[in-house]
Amino acid sequence: MTGSSQDKAPLLEVSGLSVDYGLKGVSSRAIDSVSFALRAGEAVGLVGESGSGKTTTAMAIAGLLSPNARVSGGQVCYRGNRLPIEDDAAMRPHRWSETSVVFQGAMNALNPVHRIIKQIAEPCMLKLGMPRGEATARAGELLELVGIPADRGAAYPHELSGGMRQRVMIAMALACRPSIIIGDEPTTALDVITQAQILKLLGELRSQLNLALILITHDLSVVAESCDRVMIMYAGRIVEDGTVAEIFAKPKHPYTRLLIDSIPNPANGKKMIRPIPGDPPNLVNRPSGCAFHPRCPSAMGLCATDVPSFDKFGRSRVACHLHRSSQEDKVAAHA
Amino acid sequence: MNGGRTSRHFGRILVRAIITLLMVAVLNFFLFRVIPGDPASLLLGGARISVTAEQMKAQRQNWGLDRPLFPDQAVDYLSATLRGDFGYSFKFRGRRVADLIVERLPATIVLVSLAQFIAIVCGVMLGLYAGWRRGGAVDHIATGASLLLYSTPSFWVAMILIVIFSTALGWLPGYGAYSPGVSTRSLDQVLDYLRHLTLPVSAVALGLIGQYVVVARAAMSDVVTEDYMVTARAKGLTGGQMLMRHAFRNAMLPVVTLITLNLGYVVAGAITVEAVFAWPGIGGLTVEALNARDYPVLQGVFLLLGASIVLANLVADLAYGILDPRVRQ
Amino acid sequence: MSDAIVPYSPRGRARAIKGFLGQFLSYGGAQVGLVCLVFFLVVAAMPNILVGPLQTAINATGEFLEPPSSQHLLGTDEVGRDVLNLVVHGARISLTIALLATVISLVIGTTVGMTAGYFGGPVDVWLMRLTDFFFVVPSFVLALVITPVVLEVIGRGRDILGFRPSLFVIIVVIGLTSWAFVGRIVRSQTLSLKERTFIDRARVAGSSNLSIMVRHLLPNLVPQIAANGALVVTGAIYVETSLSFLGLGDPLQPSWGTLLSLAQRAGAASAGAWWYLGAPGLCVLTVSLSFVLIGNALEDTFDPRRRVIP
Repeated sequence: MTGSSQDKAPLLEVSGLSVDYGLKGVSSRAIDSVSFALRAGEAVGLVGESGSGKTTTAMAIAGLLSPNARVSGGQVCYRGNRLPIEDDAAMRPHRWSETSVVFQGAMNALNPVHRIIKQIAEPCMLKLGMPRGEATARAGELLELVGIPADRGAAYPHELSGGMRQRVMIAMALACRPSIIIGDEPTTALDVITQAQILKLLGELRSQLNLALILITHDLSVVAESCDRVMIMYAGRIVEDGTVAEIFAKPKHPYTRLLIDSIPNPANGKKMIRPIPGDPPNLVNRPSGCAFHPRCPSAMGLCATDVPSFDKFGRSRVACHLHRSSQEDKVAAHA
Repeated sequence: MNGGRTSRHFGRILVRAIITLLMVAVLNFFLFRVIPGDPASLLLGGARISVTAEQMKAQRQNWGLDRPLFPDQAVDYLSATLRGDFGYSFKFRGRRVADLIVERLPATIVLVSLAQFIAIVCGVMLGLYAGWRRGGAVDHIATGASLLLYSTPSFWVAMILIVIFSTALGWLPGYGAYSPGVSTRSLDQVLDYLRHLTLPVSAVALGLIGQYVVVARAAMSDVVTEDYMVTARAKGLTGGQMLMRHAFRNAMLPVVTLITLNLGYVVAGAITVEAVFAWPGIGGLTVEALNARDYPVLQGVFLLLGASIVLANLVADLAYGILDPRVRQ
Repeated sequence: MSDAIVPYSPRGRARAIKGFLGQFLSYGGAQVGLVCLVFFLVVAAMPNILVGPLQTAINATGEFLEPPSSQHLLGTDEVGRDVLNLVVHGARISLTIALLATVISLVIGTTVGMTAGYFGGPVDVWLMRLTDFFFVVPSFVLALVITPVVLEVIGRGRDILGFRPSLFVIIVVIGLTSWAFVGRIVRSQTLSLKERTFIDRARVAGSSNLSIMVRHLLPNLVPQIAANGALVVTGAIYVETSLSFLGLGDPLQPSWGTLLSLAQRAGAASAGAWWYLGAPGLCVLTVSLSFVLIGNALEDTFDPRRRVIP
């Protein structure tokens, strides 16, 4: 916003981030050497099965790691400054003012005993220091912005539909004018039509307010409609990263291909969901080599022993032994 | 917005309360008729006093005992009960049960409400804190102690308190409500009353504290795992703000229910403690009535306990409806 | 609770029970509770062998209100009886009353809850209205007014099943007034089990309602009944102790509550006879605490939310 030089530098840069969870002496790695950059106003989808590390990645960025999580490597930089993501108190000024989260709109992300207007106004009062009246007025404006009449602010969460609650969550996320919004499965519990409306709203607000959006979902079709870029995660690692157009047209990683195939598409006559065979990986006892190899239809001998490197191909990246042969591209990209 | 639904909700609660109270009265009615001996002589003060045949007959007519049990007698009984007429005591000859109860009620109310107040302040705070800092030192101590208190009859706690603070240390009196010889209507008398009150109140309060710690802790440890607490943390609230603005009110929902329910139960619970201290309240009256098999008094007490329990349930339901917007639906 | 459905093969059932016991015994509370409970059950089983026959004012062996000594480990009471002797015999009375009352309460609660949940409709409505009454009005309050009346009606005559009539009355009254809690839980559990396919299978196969309830529903209700049974025992001990303390017990077969009542009447507290009132009180405390701990551990074991894999 301030100048073109800032637009070039990434808003958020995650480099080599690894997070472990300790449970009763057993430690499991939730995310492993995750690296990516996010520019202002950009929309990135973070896709994977449950346990793939997508939520841990997002929570680390938002400074919301749980007490039993430990950052065992790497860092997160926001506008060039390293964030103290392991220090709960030190992250407090960053939260909501810079990065806010739209949680899954299921009932309980909103406090059931407070009116919604109060919950939206709360961060305005506590973080921006607005007096109550001003904060309430701003909360009303925010409600109008997400398409809810301001006088509905007197309602309690349980009096609203799922879609309305999700809009309230979005209004709340906008309260302190953040630069990044993380959507944690924001449309999962909703029906298809409401889902489309919420995604449209998020898209409009993003361009209107120049917000960067990180959309966490297990549903690749959600990403197709609302993101510029997609990152596919598997067993704590990013396995493929590219623009939406590239990934859908030419998926490189076999896992990505299977994910795209599993989207039901009535237009192609594909009505049935084709599940990916095999079980999700065990994070405490991770498979050797490429973690996907036990389920991979194209697995080779190498896949069980060597961890594939994360190589760059033009504007996209992929971690798969099938795509090692094109070393030249990488060299060319470097030059 | 949904006034119709709300009033219907409260209407249902009210109907349920009335049904319960009616069942208490019906049980009272049948128990009273089951006792061997002529109900008329029971009403006149039991077989322990001699009455003339004319008196019996008059009483019989007066109470309609010559008419069928149902519906006539039952209806008469219910209407008498509604008027606050519970008959006459055996032991305190000729005295009306209602008068006896009214006479003894203030002492119990003082005892019970003071104990409630202390238990709410100590128990709820301690329980909420233990649940908020689950697994901490305070949590371990509070949970252990409250489990002990929870399993201990409060009248035994009362006896132990007497042994320690009255007999061994001689700090506080362990019997009755007044010392003989202290001048009436003076500050001395107030202080004397308070000194007599200390041990009974402590015994009742300790039992309640055990309950409140257990429930408040459980409620708070449920609340801290809720999604809206993650939202509050994501909003950048401090620990104190999360506790006061988001956790406290939600955790208080089950606690408030327990506290209001206890308004009814605590009178019954205090009966044994009053017996230990010879406290001149409803408990003391109950023990005297039990020993003398003074059924009219016993039944009056039963009705009083039933009514206070039903009333407390009613208040608890209403309070929950006010505190939790979801229930009003 | 899908995994709580009773497996049909005996081997599967044995494995399930073994797994359950392993989990249950891993709780520290359960271990402490079980050890205490076994101790008291052994004591209650053979009071005559341990301390000789119950002492009375006639065959009392000591002086009045003697503090503990090598001769009387727990001192003596106001007529010279050995407190240890009284407490050991009291264990038999107290535990029998509490356990028998609990059995009655569980049988009624399970029957009412299962019937209401299984048949639904007006049966459910009326049974639940009845349950609500007993749920709201506590057992202690009901027993307080019913017990003396029943005692008066049946008189204090002959023994029933080896019990003095007053104790028998207390058992029945506590059992009849403390089942509502179990009834509610069993009903809600029955409602959810009713929707399961194995009930439909049994119905299609032509099983009668009674046989479905006894053979298919009941085995799956056992976990809930057991966990709550432990809490019902605690309640029964509390009610029995309180009633006996108020003088409704029987001095010829004294329970711990009756001993406390005798101690109170003898003025043990103001005489500083801590051993006299301390011993029975500690017994009550230990036994109730054991059942609370066992009940909590059972609930934790059965609660699917606490499992690693739901």
